Amino acid sequence: MNDRKLAEYTLEKLEKLGADAAAVSVSHSSTDELNVDGGEFSLMRTLFDTGVSLSVIKNGAKGTAAINQTSKEDIDAACAAAIASAENAKPDEAERIAPFKGKEKFTQGVLVPDVAALYDRIEEFLRDTREQFPKIMMEQFIADYRRESGIYMNTNGTEFELEEGCYGLSSMFSAHEGETAGSFNGADAAFTSLDRAFMDMASHRRLFRESSDSLYPKPVDGKFTGTLIASPDLLSSFMYTVLGNFCSNGTIIDGTSPWLSMLGRQVASKGFTLTSRPLDPEVVCGERFAGGFKSENMTYIEDGVLKGFMLSDYGARKTGFERAKNLSGSFFVEPGTTPLSEIIAGVERGMIVNRFSGGEPAQNGDFSGVAKNSFLVENGKIVGAVNETMINGSFLELMKSVRAISSDTESSGGGVMPWAAFDGVTISGK
Amino acid sequence: MISDRISEMKGLMGAGHTEIRAQRSTTRRVGVLKGNVVSNVRSETMGVCARVYRSGVYGFASGAEYSPEAVRDILAAAQRNAEFMDTRVGKGKPALPVIPAQKLTFDPGFTDPEQKKYLDFVLELDAYLEKTYPALASRSVSAYADSMEKLLVTNDGADGYSILPRSYVYVTLTAPTSDGSTVELFTVLGGQDAGCFDKRYTSIEPFKAEIDRLYGDVMRKAEGVYAEAGLRDVILGPNLAGMIAHEAVGHTVEADLVLGGSVAAHLLGKPVASELVTMVDYAHTLSSGKQAPLPVYVDDEGTPASDEVLIKDGILVGYMNSRESAQHFGMEPHGNARAFAFSDEPLIRMRNTGIVPGTSKLEDMIASIDNGYYLTETGNGQADTTGEFMFGVNMGFEIKNGKLGRAIRDTTVSGVAFEMLKSVTALSDDDVWVSSGFCGKKQPMPVGMGGPAFKCKINIGGR
Repeated sequence: MNDRKLAEYTLEKLEKLGADAAAVSVSHSSTDELNVDGGEFSLMRTLFDTGVSLSVIKNGAKGTAAINQTSKEDIDAACAAAIASAENAKPDEAERIAPFKGKEKFTQGVLVPDVAALYDRIEEFLRDTREQFPKIMMEQFIADYRRESGIYMNTNGTEFELEEGCYGLSSMFSAHEGETAGSFNGADAAFTSLDRAFMDMASHRRLFRESSDSLYPKPVDGKFTGTLIASPDLLSSFMYTVLGNFCSNGTIIDGTSPWLSMLGRQVASKGFTLTSRPLDPEVVCGERFAGGFKSENMTYIEDGVLKGFMLSDYGARKTGFERAKNLSGSFFVEPGTTPLSEIIAGVERGMIVNRFSGGEPAQNGDFSGVAKNSFLVENGKIVGAVNETMINGSFLELMKSVRAISSDTESSGGGVMPWAAFDGVTISGK
Repeated sequence: MISDRISEMKGLMGAGHTEIRAQRSTTRRVGVLKGNVVSNVRSETMGVCARVYRSGVYGFASGAEYSPEAVRDILAAAQRNAEFMDTRVGKGKPALPVIPAQKLTFDPGFTDPEQKKYLDFVLELDAYLEKTYPALASRSVSAYADSMEKLLVTNDGADGYSILPRSYVYVTLTAPTSDGSTVELFTVLGGQDAGCFDKRYTSIEPFKAEIDRLYGDVMRKAEGVYAEAGLRDVILGPNLAGMIAHEAVGHTVEADLVLGGSVAAHLLGKPVASELVTMVDYAHTLSSGKQAPLPVYVDDEGTPASDEVLIKDGILVGYMNSRESAQHFGMEPHGNARAFAFSDEPLIRMRNTGIVPGTSKLEDMIASIDNGYYLTETGNGQADTTGEFMFGVNMGFEIKNGKLGRAIRDTTVSGVAFEMLKSVTALSDDDVWVSSGFCGKKQPMPVGMGGPAFKCKINIGGR
């Protein structure tokens, strides 16, 4: 059976088993992946996989099942398991299968890979790294091409088909000199063309330079309250945490989010705008549909004012708030007008932080952790790399303490981020 | 049980290390948030993979279809990939040393209860929480079970069959604070070892005492204070010892990370800890004679599993190896090459990593600190090539003049592993093991970790 026939068979089976409504996704993927370990080629992988996931509503309750087999027996068993799950769950009026949203086919990315050229780009990257950044040791580098095709169908008539392919890279590296090892750092990117050298992607050049300059870091002396300048990567991970803790299903449904009553009100400094834009041309193979809904770009925070929550259809119906128009995480923070160099020049005392290694931030937004790949700034100048230094604060306060947003931005194929400077962060060393 | 469609492929393996693995993995999950069923999922993956070694490089392929023809195709694809890499890279390394042929089996028995079992338990427990603790701001209860069933054949090592089921119940309680905020705390009921859900969670009664302790702690945390940031004297409770073993030391002595530049590359044979500290990555049996939380008898490249002593009386004495890295370092592999899913290649992973208990009593250790902290619960952690590590602390208490004081809010501790371990001055005489976590390293992997409480100096985050 092809994917469409498999999806149709699954929906028919679920209806025969008593489903009031159902949805099914069927997908096939193939991946070619090249690996480098310890600076040397180590492994080539070819992966083929299948995915069948189904959701069912019966008597007002929901059950789901997922398998990677496509035989009639396996599909029948998965259907029975999903039905049994629903039959034993509590009915909940907020559960449903998404209503009819049309029939559409999406094709994106590059559908024919060039694995030999991918290999050549890696070889070039390793050579460039050795020649231009001799202190850098590539602990692990992975480049791949992944192609996926699939179909989503539900009993309300929606049909979304997808065919896409894209390249990706992921690097993990550190600087070394003699027996001295620097802190590891990493970068990721998604892309559809092999036209550019990997050294010019994923901020590699800046990150390699910074790692090479960080081999002899020092802890900050004592404790002070200062400015945290978050790199684009760090800002992106901060936004995941902020939305996860304050805007997602969990804390909105149980009513513990400190932003529960803040829609339309100021939650961040003026000038701070956060959007999620999977359809933006900067995003490679962005989300086209999720949960039976076609994805659209959306705004979470506009000029500091909270505009929406990151709620699924269930979360929205449960709480009465609006459903998020996508669930992609393709985040953009709008750049400011000040160059990064000017922001740094205006900081009396603080740190530029590239990576945060910390405990899971509390639901109330408290965070603490180690500043990694970071530089101390004093009187407007970068005075050196730091280690064994912790940053502590609250994301609630941080969002309202935005000192500046840079005009400089970086893009990894998943979104676009500037640097952002936040005041009032506790920085403690030894 | 996975049917054997791979042994017959031995004749097609050719020269050079080759492994074929068929694997089925299952996941069952039910989540209830404040009375609402927010997840109710059964998922299962099945497939086969092959990996082929050629002169210093590997070719790998995997597919979901598990027929004799598909296995043959996957093996051929792995051989082509190995050939491509060898032709392009040309490392010219020698073949991996052969391991005597044998078949190793681990089958503790596997049952796969229907979803109703999970739902009934979780809903009953949630109803108990709602009734018993009305002061809570929120609560969540999740049942989770997974299993990995693996069938392995190799052409130059051990063959194997294993099935490892795990099941846990996670409870998170959220308490209101006087400033209008909230704090939360979680525990894993039955998180010490692995097993099947229907054998371990037959009634909520045995877990009520643990839930009562959790409630008491979260209410104290709601009145807690921020830790005072800086380098402090601390007692790390036994629940944190495993995190030290895993994050602070374990990752730095994984041989692939050593080759990638870990600080441990230059420390073999040197003192890295107080002589009180001995640390072992156990394969399947702890030094007490008890079964390790997540036993491994053969790894996924055909190496019979045995213990790897990493630190002996404060001296770094070993790395965790794959067959290839062991050959590089001139060491013996002890079965640390493990893969998560059928589509994953074996990587060097920890198994059951712990610090051997000492002779001190926990209460005496607490009494010996004038001004510090007793840290009791953790969540996540991370290590660095430099040996710098951190992990989150979800529960802890001040120690003032040898007595426990106020609870503290969530924080993070950090240090440089081989400096911090030299500051250890006491280890308690008991240990605690946990098995509910996943380690992340390209692939996730269930790992066990454990150890005693210990006294040391560590950098703590706060205000």
